Amino acid sequence: MKKLRSLLIFTLIAILLAACSNTSDTSEKAEASGGEYPKKTLNVVIPFGPGGGTDLYLRKIMEIMQKEKIYTENIKIENREGGSGAVGWGFLVTKKGDPYYVAPTSGSFFTTPLVSNTSFTYESFTPIALMGADDLFLLVKEDAKYNTLEEFIEAAKSGKRMKIGGVGQVSDEMIVPNLLAKEAGFEFDYVPFQGAGELTGALLSDSLDAIVGNPARSLGQIKGGLMKPLAFSGMERLPEMEDVPTYTELGYDVNLSQPRGIILAGDVDQEVQDWWIDAMKKVSETEEWKSYLKDNGMSEYLLFGDDFATFLEETNTKFKNSLEDTDN
Amino acid sequence: MGDILTNIVQGFSVALTPMNVLLLLLGAFIGMVVGIIPGFGASAAIAILLPLTLSLDPTGAIIMLAGIYYGSQYGGGTTSILINTPGDSAAVATTFDGYPMTMQGKAGKALITQAIASFVGGTVGVILIFSFAPMFAKVALKFGPPEYFMLMMMGMLTLVWMTDDSKLKGFISAFLGLAIATVGVDVISGTQRYTFGSPELINGISFIPVTIGLFGLGELFYRIYAGSHKDDRLEKLDLSLANKNTWPKMKELLAAKFTFLRGSVIGFVTGVLPGAGATIASFFSYTIEKKISKEPQEFGKGHLPGLIAPETANNGATSGAMVPLLTLGIPGSASTAILLGAFLMYGLQPGPLLMIEKPDFAWGIISSMYLGNVILLVINIVAIPVFLMIVKLPYRFLIPVIIALCLIGTFSLNSSLIEIWILLIFGIVGFFMKLYGYSPAALVLALVLGPLAENTLRQSLIMSEQGMAIFLTRPVSLLFLMLIVVIVVYPYVKKLFIPRHTA
Repeated sequence: MKKLRSLLIFTLIAILLAACSNTSDTSEKAEASGGEYPKKTLNVVIPFGPGGGTDLYLRKIMEIMQKEKIYTENIKIENREGGSGAVGWGFLVTKKGDPYYVAPTSGSFFTTPLVSNTSFTYESFTPIALMGADDLFLLVKEDAKYNTLEEFIEAAKSGKRMKIGGVGQVSDEMIVPNLLAKEAGFEFDYVPFQGAGELTGALLSDSLDAIVGNPARSLGQIKGGLMKPLAFSGMERLPEMEDVPTYTELGYDVNLSQPRGIILAGDVDQEVQDWWIDAMKKVSETEEWKSYLKDNGMSEYLLFGDDFATFLEETNTKFKNSLEDTDN
Repeated sequence: MGDILTNIVQGFSVALTPMNVLLLLLGAFIGMVVGIIPGFGASAAIAILLPLTLSLDPTGAIIMLAGIYYGSQYGGGTTSILINTPGDSAAVATTFDGYPMTMQGKAGKALITQAIASFVGGTVGVILIFSFAPMFAKVALKFGPPEYFMLMMMGMLTLVWMTDDSKLKGFISAFLGLAIATVGVDVISGTQRYTFGSPELINGISFIPVTIGLFGLGELFYRIYAGSHKDDRLEKLDLSLANKNTWPKMKELLAAKFTFLRGSVIGFVTGVLPGAGATIASFFSYTIEKKISKEPQEFGKGHLPGLIAPETANNGATSGAMVPLLTLGIPGSASTAILLGAFLMYGLQPGPLLMIEKPDFAWGIISSMYLGNVILLVINIVAIPVFLMIVKLPYRFLIPVIIALCLIGTFSLNSSLIEIWILLIFGIVGFFMKLYGYSPAALVLALVLGPLAENTLRQSLIMSEQGMAIFLTRPVSLLFLMLIVVIVVYPYVKKLFIPRHTA
């Protein structure tokens, strides 16, 4: 009986160990990647937890790549979260030259290296493509006095110090209202929150005057009559919310997106980069990707290769400038 | 009333399709298993399984994922009871009376009571959703940062109650927890505190390795130190389900009927509030029960109500957390945030219209939660003999298994080696705390409440134009404040006016 028991325990441990072992990384040295790329398992490194915006879009891209037989080998997706992306992208940096590691981009891709000592910057990787962008609504509670951005700004200028909430202190959600305040010339208090749930709750409990929020998490609440959008930070209006004007239309130079892009480890061969640019073009043309963008309220914003590299540089400058502004 | 009936009929017609029942079984079972593994909780399991459910229809997939969520609350208490190692932070309060019961040879009784308590908590929660979901959603909408701060202050009060025996040591433990909570990025200013440049510490010290270390490893070291591994008393006990003493007596359960009810409702209401969650609910429930009990001195020594209170509460809370998720699209915990991600993945727009536009989806899930609780009760009681083998296992075999489980559970969370070190360090800390009578529970609660209290206080102060006045001008916050004042002042007032007649 005792023997049986210890056997049982050992089996249990063995199962557990086996279950965990697939997260250990197999660091293979990059092989010559001529001609017949790909011929190995692709490692997808997601620097954030599962279920978030960054995680979802990259998984969608990988799903399409497999469905459409664009990537014919296995695809292994790994969430390496921690340190606002520092852990995940920090890991990708160590895979320099290896053509089998891809990762997403997001706002933290710029902000994390700007505010802490990371082993990488936006330039440490091989840029492939921008597949879309998450822009932000400026939202007020349904029963708020203001119906337009102008009315809101008017109130903000005439003595009422607005309290605007967003997720994170060093994030696009902090920068967008700051850009607006600077352009329109009013002062406000930014109230940072840790998650979108608490943030929405704070607006709805009359604790804040306005919040910023991306379409995916706020469309349902807008349509459900809990809050109303005053403006949108995208380059163009969002098809699902056609009557919400963009800041640009209203004469304010405010647009800063959460860039949903895709990058490879640094220093991969030109051919591999070209293969991926081509692959991403194919993905972006599929109906599935288009409907994904639509369903999640993302702006269709495509850039490839060098154009994407330029975009990264511009975005980094925007983030850097606004961070320096708010420091003062 | 007619509405409720329509909802119930519609819900069950969705939940009872063979495919959905199968998915529910699978989800509930997985949830229970991951709940048992210390550290490896519901949010991690949902996240890992999320991509695999993509081929299912949305209702079936969410039924399964929700099953993992509340199933894990059943499993979480199992290891609390058996080896003093909470499966997640919501099960910490279960160790208070659950583990002493095991030490007294009443592990079977504790496990069955826990399963019943979980069932009652979950079921009362589901009934409350069916009948009052929209009403509770309105409650959630009254809670902004000032109200949460007051709620956290109430939580801190429970800390004071918890440390009745030795206030000084309790406070030292709590302050240690608060100090640990300061590590990581400060949400309000964005600056890093005590990270020493390590990217792994940017998100702070997670309470999971701390909890497992303090409770699981700490207890283990202590038992080796105390020589209780040589004690084979427990191995000789008859713990089979056939033994009448394994089952809690009907009389005992009936005597605790209000404990069941209070715990469930406290849990549910706390769960409805986004951000408060099952951990706080279980502590609240435990301390309230101890406070109003006629025999408070029995708590912590294997007292049945002390086990029922936190277990009904943490299961009630998981039902409660579904309310803001389904009615408002606001996630109240890490697990519901991932469920929200799953909604989006299936093209479901979380928000007030979800229940109106997709009633079969919403009520189907709620109905399946009811079924899920029944299934989990059965699985749990059937599985108890397997768990009881652990108790009868000679300690020299058990030690390596527990250590391996703790290490695996911690590592599986973030694949982080630093967290393994944190686990080991807190194992040693936990040993000394136990040895010198400090309170690991106070430390963990402070670690959970600390950042929430700090953030909500600072958010409130940014929002406020007259400093602290914000806590007085908002009705709900004022109500809490008055409640806190009454609770704090009452014992002193009582002493003044009522002459002491007992010693």
